Amino acid sequence: MAEEGWEPKIVAFCCNWCSYGGADTAGMGRFQQPASTRVIRVMCSGRIDPLHVYNAFLEGADAVLVTGCHIGDCHYVNGNEKTEVKYKFLEEMLQQLGLEPDRLHLNWISASEGERFANFINEVTAKVKELGPSPLKPAGVK
Amino acid sequence: MVNVGDMLVGYATDEDVRKRGASGGLVTAVLAAALEKGLVENVVVMKHINEFEAVPIITDDVDEVLASTGSLHSVPVNLAKYAMGRKVAMPAKPCDAQAVIEQAKRDMIDLDNTYIVGLNCGGSMHPVTTKKMLVAMYDIDPEDVVGEDIEKGKLIFKTKNGEEKAIAIDELEEAGYGRRESCRFCTLKIPVNADLACGNWGVIGDLAGSATFCQVMNDKGVKLLENAIDAGRIKVEPASDKAIAIRAKVNDVMVNLGSTLEEKIFPEIPDEERIQFYMEQMADCIDCGACKEVCPVCACGEDSKCTMFHSLVDNYKMSMYHMIRLLHLTDSCIACGQCSDVCPSDIPITLLQSRFAIPAQRRREYTPGMNVDDVPPFFEVILK
Amino acid sequence: MTEQEAITNEESEELRIGAFICECGINIAGAVDCYAVADYISTLPNVVTSVVNKYTCSDAGQAEIKNAIKDMNLNRVLVASCTPKTHEPIFRACVEEAGLNQYLFEFVNIREHCSWIHMWEKEDATRKAKELVRMGVARAALLEPLQSSEVPVTDAALVIGAGVTGMQAAMDIADMEHKVYLVEQGPSIGGKMAQLDKTFPTNDCSICILGPKMVEVARNENIEIMSYSDIVEVDGYVGNFKVKVKHKPRYLNIDECTGCGLCTEVCPVEVPYTEFNEGIGTRKAIYTPFPQAVPLRALVDKSICIDCGACIKACERGAIDMDQKETFSELDVGVIVVAAGYDVYDPEPNNEFGFGLYDNVITTMEFERLINASGPTMGKVVRPSDVKPPKRIGFVQCVGSRDKNSNIYCSSFCCMASLKNAQLLKEKYPDTEVYIMYMDMRTPFRMYEEFYNRARDMGVRFIRGRPAEVTENEDHNIIARIEDTLTNEIVNLELDLMVLSVGAVAPESTETVRQILKVSKAADGFMMEAHPKLKPVDTTLDGIFIGGMTQGPKDIPYSISQGSACAARATKFLAQGKAMTEGITAKVDDDICVGCGVCVPMCPFQALSIEDDKLKILTALCKGCGTCMAACPTGALDQSHFKNEQLLAQVKNVFAYGEV
Repeated sequence: MAEEGWEPKIVAFCCNWCSYGGADTAGMGRFQQPASTRVIRVMCSGRIDPLHVYNAFLEGADAVLVTGCHIGDCHYVNGNEKTEVKYKFLEEMLQQLGLEPDRLHLNWISASEGERFANFINEVTAKVKELGPSPLKPAGVK
Repeated sequence: MVNVGDMLVGYATDEDVRKRGASGGLVTAVLAAALEKGLVENVVVMKHINEFEAVPIITDDVDEVLASTGSLHSVPVNLAKYAMGRKVAMPAKPCDAQAVIEQAKRDMIDLDNTYIVGLNCGGSMHPVTTKKMLVAMYDIDPEDVVGEDIEKGKLIFKTKNGEEKAIAIDELEEAGYGRRESCRFCTLKIPVNADLACGNWGVIGDLAGSATFCQVMNDKGVKLLENAIDAGRIKVEPASDKAIAIRAKVNDVMVNLGSTLEEKIFPEIPDEERIQFYMEQMADCIDCGACKEVCPVCACGEDSKCTMFHSLVDNYKMSMYHMIRLLHLTDSCIACGQCSDVCPSDIPITLLQSRFAIPAQRRREYTPGMNVDDVPPFFEVILK
Repeated sequence: MTEQEAITNEESEELRIGAFICECGINIAGAVDCYAVADYISTLPNVVTSVVNKYTCSDAGQAEIKNAIKDMNLNRVLVASCTPKTHEPIFRACVEEAGLNQYLFEFVNIREHCSWIHMWEKEDATRKAKELVRMGVARAALLEPLQSSEVPVTDAALVIGAGVTGMQAAMDIADMEHKVYLVEQGPSIGGKMAQLDKTFPTNDCSICILGPKMVEVARNENIEIMSYSDIVEVDGYVGNFKVKVKHKPRYLNIDECTGCGLCTEVCPVEVPYTEFNEGIGTRKAIYTPFPQAVPLRALVDKSICIDCGACIKACERGAIDMDQKETFSELDVGVIVVAAGYDVYDPEPNNEFGFGLYDNVITTMEFERLINASGPTMGKVVRPSDVKPPKRIGFVQCVGSRDKNSNIYCSSFCCMASLKNAQLLKEKYPDTEVYIMYMDMRTPFRMYEEFYNRARDMGVRFIRGRPAEVTENEDHNIIARIEDTLTNEIVNLELDLMVLSVGAVAPESTETVRQILKVSKAADGFMMEAHPKLKPVDTTLDGIFIGGMTQGPKDIPYSISQGSACAARATKFLAQGKAMTEGITAKVDDDICVGCGVCVPMCPFQALSIEDDKLKILTALCKGCGTCMAACPTGALDQSHFKNEQLLAQVKNVFAYGEV
């Protein structure tokens, strides 16, 4: 279980055109969020390789978020559809490994959905706080 | 005239080959004819070292092909990678054929230039384990063995002095000997993905022991047989309905056995214990990379996304190398067992891979290595 | 490599990173202690300077950056401020001006993603900002200089399809002094609009406004019309397309034929295969498509020709050549506009509403030919069964549109078309009862709602419902059983003639063209635009544009607008003579690539192919999405500016051992 005052560290991969914009819109709308999340920008969610997600967990992430455009809206035609294919494998594998399912999320968020982004971060942070630090977190990492 | 779908029974016309063959020498004769008549430039065969060991060789010498006749259950090597870059004919257990087709999907093997003579397979054994087993269970000196066979679920050894001893495979496996683990839960016993599917199941009556059942799977199979018939190396006749039925029955028994054993080999792990289980399983890994080297489905070179994480000094709680391999093979692992065989730390890698691969493949109703036109689900562009 | 790159590369052997933390007034400073961040960042390896600005994007801030680059020999610059989506181009230009490649610039967002969302948690916000900038420093250390490149553009355009959209596009491009090849699969240009009688909302005579346009197209010196021709192959990429066109044989010399029509007169073979008249009336084995055809030349239908030779004898110019073979042309063009039109939905396969079963059920296109003054009945609307004028005519809307059993989309022009046809009937035959059976009336644009009101004022009757059952009585009158959902009554409507207001479908011939070009298909079967708002006539393939019905069902004014839009977008390349390509592209390490080819289908832009067992990347086409890399099992394929090692470095630097 977590020590008092422990805050989760969440790595969020965001696509340049939609979800990164959604995070920006959340900021512009001043939708307050816990300081748990670190955004890593990619041009398209399809760029996100499951190995990036694994590495995030093994480096110490308590949760990892894969985000991008809504299906049908991808700036590069169908990048997010390819993300979905890989994500299914990722999800199944982490479930088989025994990692709590609430530590990995896929969410499609458009550039205009600032509140949706903020709510997402709020919800995930709350859930992960309850779960405690990730069992894959190396010793000594905060 | 041979047609796709034909169920035939046949044997080598060369009496010597027919006698030395496991059941009629048809496979050897077909391979020899393919080489003789220039259908291929090389043939992959097993060169005997002794009763338990053989090495795969790539030969253009018909005599070497003929000399290789006979079947050995203690040679668990996967032959797929020997087909790369050559115009070749090869014998293939179902897992060999699966690996060839997976390599063909990745443009590493040209199926048009690769003739696959499939062999029924009930399972293979480790030579070292087999020798230990002979002493412990059969009370036979390994030096005295002159032949072995699997019949009706029993593993039979013949010794120099003409004796035969048979023990049920179940019994052997209960005691920790017998077939490799990956063979125990395998359910692809007849190589329907090869060009020809050959074996001794369904060979009954007078011909039992001296003829081979052969199912023609596709046009290349037709070519192989017609080529061998033209060369005068084989004789074939249609299989009777009874023979076909018996073969199907034996297959059913073996497949059911595989399914039953699968439950035993993969006990359920409660959710809360899994991560600990996997961390422990991977803990002994020394990053030697042998499992990747021998994997017959892996098409990558020396440097790959998995090996990228070999040399990093890290304090990760789990091996990135293995996590990536588990991911990349989820849809394509054929559970051939090569990785477990070579691991110097005795990590049961095949079982680990299968815990991920089997549910993922079943969920997607996808079996790797059956048809070169099936796209591995990981490489689909859209979620099906 | 430019001199600048050489300098930059040499210096990058020793990394010298400059970090500029922006306070953005109090936008950032209000929640983040920027000085603490700058102090922390200065402790990181390779960071040579780490300062705070009040407004980094201001002239003063930018000057500071430029000076720092020069004075301190910086070879990487990091700015931590707002979102890159606003100011990244400004800062990139700023560093370029100081002599640093623009891709050696790293932007960290500590405003929208930090200070603005943690406004009252100063400690947390400051710690997070430190970590975000630390991630940026790690990435900056791995950034490499990149160049976007140029490809030359052949000064010629190909327009596929010579309906009203294609003609508009061709004329607009030609008027800007560029060569246009206008390829049309039919024997005449004009498209479906030539078949219409009048067009809404002005009720102009269709061929009267189209005809002069067709002549203009023919006279334009910059337009080369290739009629009765098909596109066979297209290779290449923007600026450099190689197109193979097949010219189908008309069996006469198009330069000698004058379209005089003598051959048609003497031809003894007469068949009811009137493509232009929708199967009404007859034509001969040798015929001109229609009187206003451009080019006005005949053609022979060899499938019914009996080789009697009467036309050969009659032709005063000796133009007929029964042995003519198909020929091919190879065209070099810089841009392609696809305006290949539509097919009318065919209700026959399922005999919808009795079409194909009962004589007096026809489609709107058949109706257009009947009411057209130069049609097979000289403009008299008569019913097929007895060739008598109908007194009661009903239009059924949404046939083949808005229908789960056929096409779910709305074809967008059919409401207006029926309103127009109803008005024409009321004008020509004031005593006729005219009904429109509809689900909704869609009349969006200028004068359209007024057009609907006019139809109502003229006495057209509207029944909100669709016929559930259509039968025929012994007089071949059509009985339609409908629920009028506004009055809640079941109506048995007896009609002399029923007209099905059929929608549009993507033609099969266009599907062939689509596959040749590799343009994406939209869910409705038509071709897909790159983005409905940002790029409505572009496709995801640079240099290929779609307009008119090809981009989905629409009416004539909208189609013409898109024709001009395509011309404008296409001419941008022709006028500039060059096309710029993306700097952030895929790169492959040949030593590691094994040529497995799994990446090839991943690319939506056709930029990847396997040649000689290795991956070949057409950099001109690569848009830098990065989706191919996630599939590559070896990691040989990587994306400049978003390399695996760069992303992993960012991941690593999220975490720390001990206090930050």
